[in-house]
Amino acid sequence: QRRVAITDGNEYKSYLSMEGRDQGVKLDCALDLMRRLPPQNIEKNLSDLIDLNPDLCDELLASVDQPLKIAKCKKTNKDYLLCDYNRDGDSYRSPWSNEYDPPIEDGTFPTDKIRQFEIDANFAFDLYREQYFEGGISSCYFWGLDNGGFAGAILIKKTGDGSKMFKGSWDSIHVVEVQEKGAGRNAHYKLISTVMLWLQNSRPESGTMDLGGSLSRTAEKDAPVTDMSSHIVNIGRMVEKMENGIRMTLDTIYFGKTRDIMNKTRSLVDLNIRGLTDKLNSQLADALKQHNTFKNKEN
Amino acid sequence: AVVSTQSGHYGRGASSVFYDYATEQFTTVKVDGEDTLITKEGSLDGSKRFYDPKNSKSFTYNYLKNEATDVEEEERDSGAEKWREAIQTALKSYLDEFFPAHVTAVYGKLEDDQVTITVCIEDHKYNPNNFWNGKWKSKWEIKFPTAGGFAKVDGAMSAQVHYYEDGNVQLLSNKKVEESVQISSPSEGANNVVEFIKKSETDYQLAINENYTSMSNTTFKALRRNLPITQTLIDWHKLHGFQVGKDIMNKS
Repeated sequence: QRRVAITDGNEYKSYLSMEGRDQGVKLDCALDLMRRLPPQNIEKNLSDLIDLNPDLCDELLASVDQPLKIAKCKKTNKDYLLCDYNRDGDSYRSPWSNEYDPPIEDGTFPTDKIRQFEIDANFAFDLYREQYFEGGISSCYFWGLDNGGFAGAILIKKTGDGSKMFKGSWDSIHVVEVQEKGAGRNAHYKLISTVMLWLQNSRPESGTMDLGGSLSRTAEKDAPVTDMSSHIVNIGRMVEKMENGIRMTLDTIYFGKTRDIMNKTRSLVDLNIRGLTDKLNSQLADALKQHNTFKNKEN
Repeated sequence: AVVSTQSGHYGRGASSVFYDYATEQFTTVKVDGEDTLITKEGSLDGSKRFYDPKNSKSFTYNYLKNEATDVEEEERDSGAEKWREAIQTALKSYLDEFFPAHVTAVYGKLEDDQVTITVCIEDHKYNPNNFWNGKWKSKWEIKFPTAGGFAKVDGAMSAQVHYYEDGNVQLLSNKKVEESVQISSPSEGANNVVEFIKKSETDYQLAINENYTSMSNTTFKALRRNLPITQTLIDWHKLHGFQVGKDIMNKS
């Protein structure tokens, strides 16, 4: 089955309405639930939801991002990442060997042209991964679209070494859709990116501390194209900029925002003292204002 | 959210789920205008009837509406009362100092010559308009013989935060402690217990904050760098050049 790259939420909802409104409402509720349930239990929540609604299985698997699983390519002995985009039934296609494991009859394969592009993309993103992640695993999967364009998924996974008392893992899922325009001299790119970040700490002083979840962002751009390799450059730049932006937001939210919220539920400083300090600060501010007004009048 | 429309689905199974969830979360409810907590210690029948020890009132709890009805006077366990009251009083100034909006319940019971005082503390900040919520919960169980002496204090503290704007991020943390605390008289014993609670909770919160700093400076960087070692963005044209070079080498 060809996978259509869904990069727009509204597009997805209208796709669903073709299947029946009831189904669409149920899926919305399911996705809403997933958004609110603890991200640390994604797999269990997803499987519970599917038990309740087996008919939503395909849609849920396609629309809820789960931590990426790893498999070893039997032919090349290299690791690759598993997702819905390299899955056919219960088998997965290795980006290195282009073979399904376990082998299947009539598996879905990219065309020769797309496969060559896929090989180039895997090579480029392998280098990208090494520069930013200094380790980890990356995998790219591409496919043609019915309307003539093409789409792909770029996945990266990096786990912390689990040493000492900190554990962590980063999972990126970038889905890109490419439409050539202007007689092939330009292309329009749509990107939807999700990064899942998990950090765990078990120092005795702090008990167990688990910081986990994901952020999603989208981007769109037009860029010039001379040949297929231009797409590598354009997509590469877009993914790099996106990941750097998400990384910064993760830093602010994980280590800034959640910490601030936690410190709002219990104060580190005696509130009476803080109340006095606040009062003093505002008295100082008033005094300064009066002083400046007076000085301005003098001048 | 309505995910299933099987009739009879929300029967007895669902109400025990509500009970488990509300008591685990230390849900707050107003009883005659005063805040109290829904907890297992305060449960009178394992289902809908609960007890507010501060105001000596029992009530029926409506889970869906978060409402207390059928409020009645309820007697406290007199065998434990002098200890319970002393701890409740000693806690007040500590809680007012460190918790902006705490709701607390202090339960006491006497059984087989053993006094058990259970302290449940909750402080939350909900801000759904800005897509975040946070909650602190701690439970302190103090067990000692009626004659006094030494009390075994078991504490379980937890911090929980949820942020869900364009994503879904959660902090989940908990820590258990235990200690033996001298408890010779109600007022002196209460002060010792509160001192231990204060030290434990403050140390725990400080340690969480320290973790945040190390996670940001060390663990996060070890997962993904800010920029490559070159300190510049990647030259994607050059990357592709490596591919072409490799292909040429492979062919020759």
